[in-house]
Amino acid sequence: MKLFRNSLCLTTSLLLTFSSVHAKEFLVGVELPLSGSYARAGKGNLEGITIAAEMFNKHNPKHKIKLVTIDDESSPAKAQAAVEKLAGQGVVAVTGGYSTTVTGAGATAANKAGLVYMTHGAPGKDILERGFKTFFRINNTEGYTTAISGLLGDMGVKSVSIVTSSLQATAEVANDVKKDMAAKGVKVTVHTFDPGTADFKSIINKIKLQDRSEAIFMSALENDYVGIIRAAKVLKPNIKALVGLWSLATPKMATDFPDLMINVFGTAMLPYPAEFKTQEGKEFVETCKRLYNKPPDYLAQLGYVQAQVLFEAIRLADEKGTLTKGGLPAELRKTNRDTLIGHVSFDKNGDNPNFQQWIGQHQAGGKIPLVWPKDRSNVNMKYPALPW
Amino acid sequence: MKLRHSIPIILVVLYGVVPLLLQHNNYIMSILVASLTIAGIALAWSLLGNLGGMVSFGHAAFFGVGSYTSAILTMKMGVPVFPAILFGGIGAAIASIAVLPALRLAGPYFALAILAYANIFRILATEFTSLTGGAGGLLGIPLFPELFGFNFGSKLGSYLIITSIVLIFAVIYRMIRTSYHGFALLAMIEGEDSTRVVGVNSTFLKAMMLFLSAFMTGIIGAFNAHYINFLEPDYAFSGVWTMIPIVAAIFGGYRTLTGPIIGAIVVYTVDQLIFKALIPSGHQIILGALLTLMILFAPDGLIPLFSKKLSWARRVKENRSPQTGHIC
Amino acid sequence: MSALILQSLYSGLLTGGYYALIALGLALVFSTVKIINLAHGEMVLLAAYMAYVMENSFATNPVVAMPLALVIASLIAVIIYFLISRIKKHRELNSLILTYGIGIILTNAILITWSADIHSTSNEAMQKPITIGPFSSMTSELIFLGVSMLMVAALWWWLTRSWYGRAVRAVSSNRDAAKLMGINPQNTELVAFIVAGILASFAGVALYCTGVIQPSLGTALTTKAFIITVLAGIGSIPGVLIGSVLIGVAESLTVTLYSSAIQELTGMVLFLLVLFVLPNGLFGQTRRRG
Repeated sequence: MKLFRNSLCLTTSLLLTFSSVHAKEFLVGVELPLSGSYARAGKGNLEGITIAAEMFNKHNPKHKIKLVTIDDESSPAKAQAAVEKLAGQGVVAVTGGYSTTVTGAGATAANKAGLVYMTHGAPGKDILERGFKTFFRINNTEGYTTAISGLLGDMGVKSVSIVTSSLQATAEVANDVKKDMAAKGVKVTVHTFDPGTADFKSIINKIKLQDRSEAIFMSALENDYVGIIRAAKVLKPNIKALVGLWSLATPKMATDFPDLMINVFGTAMLPYPAEFKTQEGKEFVETCKRLYNKPPDYLAQLGYVQAQVLFEAIRLADEKGTLTKGGLPAELRKTNRDTLIGHVSFDKNGDNPNFQQWIGQHQAGGKIPLVWPKDRSNVNMKYPALPW
Repeated sequence: MKLRHSIPIILVVLYGVVPLLLQHNNYIMSILVASLTIAGIALAWSLLGNLGGMVSFGHAAFFGVGSYTSAILTMKMGVPVFPAILFGGIGAAIASIAVLPALRLAGPYFALAILAYANIFRILATEFTSLTGGAGGLLGIPLFPELFGFNFGSKLGSYLIITSIVLIFAVIYRMIRTSYHGFALLAMIEGEDSTRVVGVNSTFLKAMMLFLSAFMTGIIGAFNAHYINFLEPDYAFSGVWTMIPIVAAIFGGYRTLTGPIIGAIVVYTVDQLIFKALIPSGHQIILGALLTLMILFAPDGLIPLFSKKLSWARRVKENRSPQTGHIC
Repeated sequence: MSALILQSLYSGLLTGGYYALIALGLALVFSTVKIINLAHGEMVLLAAYMAYVMENSFATNPVVAMPLALVIASLIAVIIYFLISRIKKHRELNSLILTYGIGIILTNAILITWSADIHSTSNEAMQKPITIGPFSSMTSELIFLGVSMLMVAALWWWLTRSWYGRAVRAVSSNRDAAKLMGINPQNTELVAFIVAGILASFAGVALYCTGVIQPSLGTALTTKAFIITVLAGIGSIPGVLIGSVLIGVAESLTVTLYSSAIQELTGMVLFLLVLFVLPNGLFGQTRRRG
């Protein structure tokens, strides 16, 4: 009996080893900012990409994705060098990048090397005009703009003050929202601030005493939101809603600054706690908790989707035998599927025209349900409502 | 001097060996080009420090102005790339006129005044959207063109251009240093009042050095704009363009000619190739530690350290007692 | 309109107070030891992170972190002074590079230890709005304005009345003569550095309670502190407060009356203007020619 059991074990383990030996390994380059000004975005993105690799390898025993990560230090020259190094190491594709200049440099190098470059960090319009043949991105500023304009439109505000950081991505969204709202006949005033600004009381006071708007839209980054909302709490302008952009409707903000966030709106792809209806969604959350001991944030969500779509295309191209013949871009362009951030497909410039953001609102108990559009939410938005 | 004998060797290595061995390794070439860019600024900075007697904390100002000038000229006015780079340098020199009033300030005041200029230019570049593309910057700046059948837009081409620029700068620096004016400047640094008695117009000479340093830095900035093809205010006027050249110059020995160049190449390549492999994120901490150690144990920089050690070794070999007096 | 301007002046005053706290340590060291400590901003930032650690791990009011911040900041200051005193030649330039290197080490150490996430106090009492007539602000901002003025007064008193303070000024004015008077220059300079560390720790806690911290902040803090120091002029401690408030108010008024996009520009332009008209800063006392 013992002999039978032992030989069974031996055979099974031999079979398993044999089959895993047959798993093809694919090197995928990851270049993103892990230090410098964009370190926060890069780290979050990497977490999502890593989760995607974990899950992909688990479900695809015949294909193994191995990530090679290089820090581009938030610098275009180093992003370019990173992609060149990855190309030299024989990666089949590169993903990552944050901010237009840095991503642009990386994408240029990837284009020259004929490598696919997949990103979430260059949502502006300009990069599509560069004529890159291997550039792909899963998001764009239009998705964010439509969400903000849609929300403000549904609220029926007659005037809005936009407080925007002078950084390119935020300034672009602010500008587009301004155009949208002006077209709807809403009075718009824009206040641009330098990213180094720490005290927003003067801007908020101008909004309170001069603009007298019904709503404030903050097109900014995490640290700015804290400053702006604090200033608003101090001066209490007579507004009905406080709306922000990315990185605002997140569990981290709810945990770190509960008194500042309550009733504030921000763009989001998923509610919190995330009620994933699909098996994939549930596994995503569980893997994130296991690897990083925390629930996934929007950066991880974007990283997960950009990587997942890329890995799938790699697998398909390999099975069709076109991967080594430069068939990956064509395979990616065939993508047409639902993901955690909605439907994803790529047009001829590599943009994802389906990209759409929803709006979440911080509500009681640290929860952030989706409140816009109506057909995506099962909770009513609290309006008018403010953190004070 | 030792340097004279090694010039042919250096030229062969730079223009022959490196291209032959490394031209297909894009990654290493990228690092070399980036380090040579830093070397150019380091040289210009040292020039201002050594011959002008002024330490600047804001060379990024000239770098950025040079970048934008050249980019705008090529993109909006169709000026060809190589002349535009020259104009980039001229633009930076013109911008340095604004810095002239700061020349009469004492050391740290001048250093900071230039830093203020760098910040001011950055904000101006962000504001004048119609000219500079504002915060979004300029994308798709033209590459170096094809000349005499050689594509200078390639990695190898860029390497050859920056190497030549840095060498030309070194020659100019040397010429000035050993000229009459050079001696006058050096004497002036030691004791300004006595030189004025002898009849040296110190303010004029200092201003000339400022223009030259700005001009050189502007050219490097313009080069970088056409090499990276993207430009935005935070990048063009980033503090990095000020500080890394200073680190490189001090590291290599800013009083020497080759010091800044070698310092830049060593610091940048070692940081990217070795330190980054050791600590992928936050590897600059080693750079910081290295800097600290350097200052404590070899404050004159690497080159003087090596030449001191070499000359000491040579003398010991020849059985002579170690003496002072080796002017490098 | 007047309510707008009044609040603007008040905001500028508060910002100025906070800038002064940051600049004081740097100004002291620069005035007395003639050293520019480029790691000063990182010392302040580290103290701020100490406040974060205390609030986060022990759920206390961040002010309770003061002792810890004091110890850490002073320790760093001592280490920096010890390293600087090993420099033999060209002390001014070399100490610049040395402290720059230390600044890099500290910034990256902070990045490695606490990652790039942003942090700020979530303490309700600190964030509570407080309004006095037409003037509104967060409670913490008002508290630290008070702390700032207290620090300036205390520092001025220390430099003019206490033995060590006067020793520091003696050493800075004439090292050899001071030695003849029985003052040990080494110890005195060390004391100056420690005091700078103490000031930095107050600034750090203020930073955590009124603003948002992240690893990349170190350089910006040092730059600001340095600009204010030069603006105030060597040797003037009250000048630091006045210079800080001047810049704070100028920035605030620019935003209110003109455009918020060029807020940082104001500080720089003001700085340059003052320098060109008064080459030694507002209240500087050293010789004119460079």
